[in-house]
Amino acid sequence: MAHMTNPLATPEQLFQRRSFGALPMDLQDAVFFATQCLTQAAGILLELPQSITAQANVLLARYWLVEPMMSHEFSDVSAAILYLTAKCSDLPRSPRDLCLVYTHLLSRTSSTFFRPAHLPPPPPPLSPSNQPPTQADYAAFHARLLPLEAHILASLSFNTHVALPHPLAVTYLQALDFFGQPRRGPLARRALAYLNTALLSPQLLYLTSQPHALAVAALYNAARDVGARMPACDWWEVFDVEREELGFLVVGMRSVDGWGRKIRAEAIEGWEGGMVTREDVERELRRRGIGVGAGNENGGGLGDAEEEMARRMDEKMAAMEAGAA
Amino acid sequence: MASKAKSRWADDEADAALEAQLKREKEEKKRLKAEKARKLEAERQAREAAATAAAQQEADSTNGPPAKRRRISPNRETSQTAEGRDASNDAPKLLRFEGGAFGRCRSVENYDKLNDIEEGAYGWVSRAKEIATGKVVALKRLKIDPKDRSGLPVTGLREIQILKDCDHRNVVKLQEVVVGEDTSRIENIFLVLEFVEHDLKSILEDMPEPFLASEVKTLLQQLASGVAYLHDNWILHRDLKTSNLLLNNRGQLKIADFGMARYVGDPPPQLTQLVVTLWYRAPELLLGATRYGPAIDMWSVGCIFGELLTREPLLQGRNEADELAKIFELCGVPTEDTWPGFRRLPNARALRLPPSASSKTPGAGGSAVRARFPLLTAAGAALLGSLLSLDPDRRPGAREMLAHEYFRQDPKPKQEAMFPTFPSKAGQERRRRRETPNAPARGQRAADLGAVDFSGIFSGREKEERGGGFSLRMV
Repeated sequence: MAHMTNPLATPEQLFQRRSFGALPMDLQDAVFFATQCLTQAAGILLELPQSITAQANVLLARYWLVEPMMSHEFSDVSAAILYLTAKCSDLPRSPRDLCLVYTHLLSRTSSTFFRPAHLPPPPPPLSPSNQPPTQADYAAFHARLLPLEAHILASLSFNTHVALPHPLAVTYLQALDFFGQPRRGPLARRALAYLNTALLSPQLLYLTSQPHALAVAALYNAARDVGARMPACDWWEVFDVEREELGFLVVGMRSVDGWGRKIRAEAIEGWEGGMVTREDVERELRRRGIGVGAGNENGGGLGDAEEEMARRMDEKMAAMEAGAA
Repeated sequence: MASKAKSRWADDEADAALEAQLKREKEEKKRLKAEKARKLEAERQAREAAATAAAQQEADSTNGPPAKRRRISPNRETSQTAEGRDASNDAPKLLRFEGGAFGRCRSVENYDKLNDIEEGAYGWVSRAKEIATGKVVALKRLKIDPKDRSGLPVTGLREIQILKDCDHRNVVKLQEVVVGEDTSRIENIFLVLEFVEHDLKSILEDMPEPFLASEVKTLLQQLASGVAYLHDNWILHRDLKTSNLLLNNRGQLKIADFGMARYVGDPPPQLTQLVVTLWYRAPELLLGATRYGPAIDMWSVGCIFGELLTREPLLQGRNEADELAKIFELCGVPTEDTWPGFRRLPNARALRLPPSASSKTPGAGGSAVRARFPLLTAAGAALLGSLLSLDPDRRPGAREMLAHEYFRQDPKPKQEAMFPTFPSKAGQERRRRRETPNAPARGQRAADLGAVDFSGIFSGREKEERGGGFSLRMV
C-alpha cells in the first residue's frame, strides 16, 4: 500500500506551526507560497518531471511542520530538497546545475520566471547582476546545500516517500469511462492542474489528505469546470472518499488561486512576486512592530542583534519542546 | 469499454433503486439530525431545570432509555432494507488508508552499544541495546565520505527508503533511523535493524555436514517468498548472496543489505550493469545489459540454491571473463535457441564461443546442472536448471518458484521451529572477515570484456561426477 499512502501531519504538528517563532500565519503562508513556486520554477529549469518536483513540494511542506521556517534561508531549503528528491530518483541533478538555476531565479533583475504576468516588469538593473555564479558563489552554495540536505533528512526521519495523487486521478478517469470520450483531454488536464495548484495551498492539503481523496476532489472540480457528466450517485464513495472530506477538499482546491493572488499583493509590503528572503520577512516584522522589531525602534543595531539571538533561541526551545511532546 | 454506446450512468432499474435508497438515506440523515437537535434542546432544558428535582426526572425520561432505544432503531431499519435488496448497496463501507506520521529522527544515545559484528561494504554493524526497552538490535552505521561532493550516499538513502517501505517476515525489519546527538551537523547515521543471530555464509562455512534436503527447502522457500514480496513491490535487490541472508535461531531467514536495491518500473528503466557480487551475477549483466528485471535476482537465487547444497559458492570466477567462462561451463554455451538475441548485448558481440557442432560429448554445450548435483531429485534439478537459465526470460519468477513441485515433494520443507540452532557469532565475538568479493562500487567502470575466447572451457569436464550417486542422509 506504500505506493498509495502518505504519512500525514498530526494535529499537534499543525497546531505547533502557529507557535513557531511567533511568525504571523499570513507571513508563513506567503513564504510557503513563494518557496513552493520557486521550487516549481527550479524544477522546470532543471528539466525535472513534475512527478519529482511535486514530491519536493510535499517534502518541503512536511519539513516546515517539523522545523521552524526562519532557521534557514527559504531558497536554500527549496534547493536542498529539490536536490535530494532528484538524487533519490532516476534523474539526479548536480549541485552545480542547482546553483546555476537558483542563482538565476533569485536574481531580482533577470528572474521574470515566476513573477505573475500581469505585474509590471521589474525596474531596469542599476548594475548587471544577472551574471552566472562565480566559483566563490558556487562554493558557498555547495557548503550550504550539503549540511542542509542531511538536516532535512534527519528532520523527516529519512522518510522521503511521497505518493502523488496524479496517477490515481488518471486511473479514476479510466474507471469512470472517460477515456475514449471526446472531452477527456480538457478534463484530465484540468484535474492535474487542480492537483498541482493544491501543492501551493496554505491548508497543506497534501499533508492532511491521502492521495486518493485529493485525486477525487480534483476530478470533481475538473468535471464541474469542464461540464462533464458524472454519475448521479455518490460516485466518490466508490473511491473511498466521504462526502465531507470531498467537500472540504473541493473548496480548499478552488480557493488556492484567489488566495495566491491576494497574498502576493498584500502579505509583504513591496513584495511583488519573485522570491522572499528571510531579510524581507524580518523587515516586514519590524514594520508591523512585532517579533524582532517590537519595542526596539530606538535601540539600534546591537539591540537588534540581541533580540534576534533571543528570538532564535526561543524558536529552538519551541522546537525542542515540540520534539519532546 | 469506451466504445459502449450507452453510458454506464444511464438510468436503469438499478439506478432507480439506488436513487430511491439514497433518498431514503437522506431522509434518514435528516431525521437523525432533527432528532439530535431535539435531544440537544432537551438536554439544554434539562440543564436549565437541573435545580429542581422535577426537572431532573424529566431529563431522565428524555435522556435515558428512550434515547437509547431511538438510536438503535435507524440501524435496524437500514439493515432491514438492505436485506430486502442488494446488501452491497447499503451504507458505504469506505476503506481507510493509514500512512503513518513524519517527524524528527531520534538520537543514537537511546541505544547502548554492546559489540561490533562486522564491517561491510556500506557500513559498520554492531549489536546494541535500546536503553528504554532493553531490546537488542543491530545498529548499522552508514559510511559517509566527507569528501563526497554530492552529499549523502544515494545507495544509503535508497536502502533506508526501501527498508522503510518493506514489511515481510523474510525481509529484515528497519525499526528506525537515528542520528548523532548534534543535529546541526549530521555526521553519523545509524539504521536500527532487527537483530538476527547468524548469516547464512558463516553457517555454511562452519557446518561440518551440509544442510539436509528438507532444510534446504525451508531456506529456499523463505528466500523465494521474501524475493517474491520484493518483486511484487517493484524492488530489485541486486545483491542477493549467502552473506546477505540472515538466519535467526528460530529457523527464519531474512533478506538483508539493501545497499544495491532500488525501485524499478515496467518497462524496466535503464540501470547500471555494475550490480550484484561477481559470483552471483547473472550472465546478462556480465554481457553488459542495462535493461534487466527481476530475473537477475532469480539467477542469484539459483546460485544460492547451489551453494546451500554444497556449502561452496557455485560459480567462483576470478574476474568478469572467468565468471562467464564458469557460467558457460555449468549452464552450456548460449545459442540463438537457448538465448534468443543474446548476441545483441554490448559485450556479446566480440565473444568467441566453441562451435556447437563440435560439441559431440554428452552435456557439452548443454546444461551440466544435473551432472553437477547428482544427489538432487529430478524436480530439484529442474528448478535449479531453470533458475540458472542463460536466457533471463526462461527463469521462473519468485512466485512461480514457490509453486514448483520441488517444494511439494518428499522430503517436505522442514518446519522452521525444528531447524537446528547454531552457535552465535554475532552474539559475542567479531565476525570473521570473509573472502567473498563485495558488490561492485558505485561509479566503478564496467569491465569491457573485449574479445574473450571461451572455446576451451569444456576441456576439464571429464572430472565431473556423472549419473546418480546416493546419500544416506535424505531427511
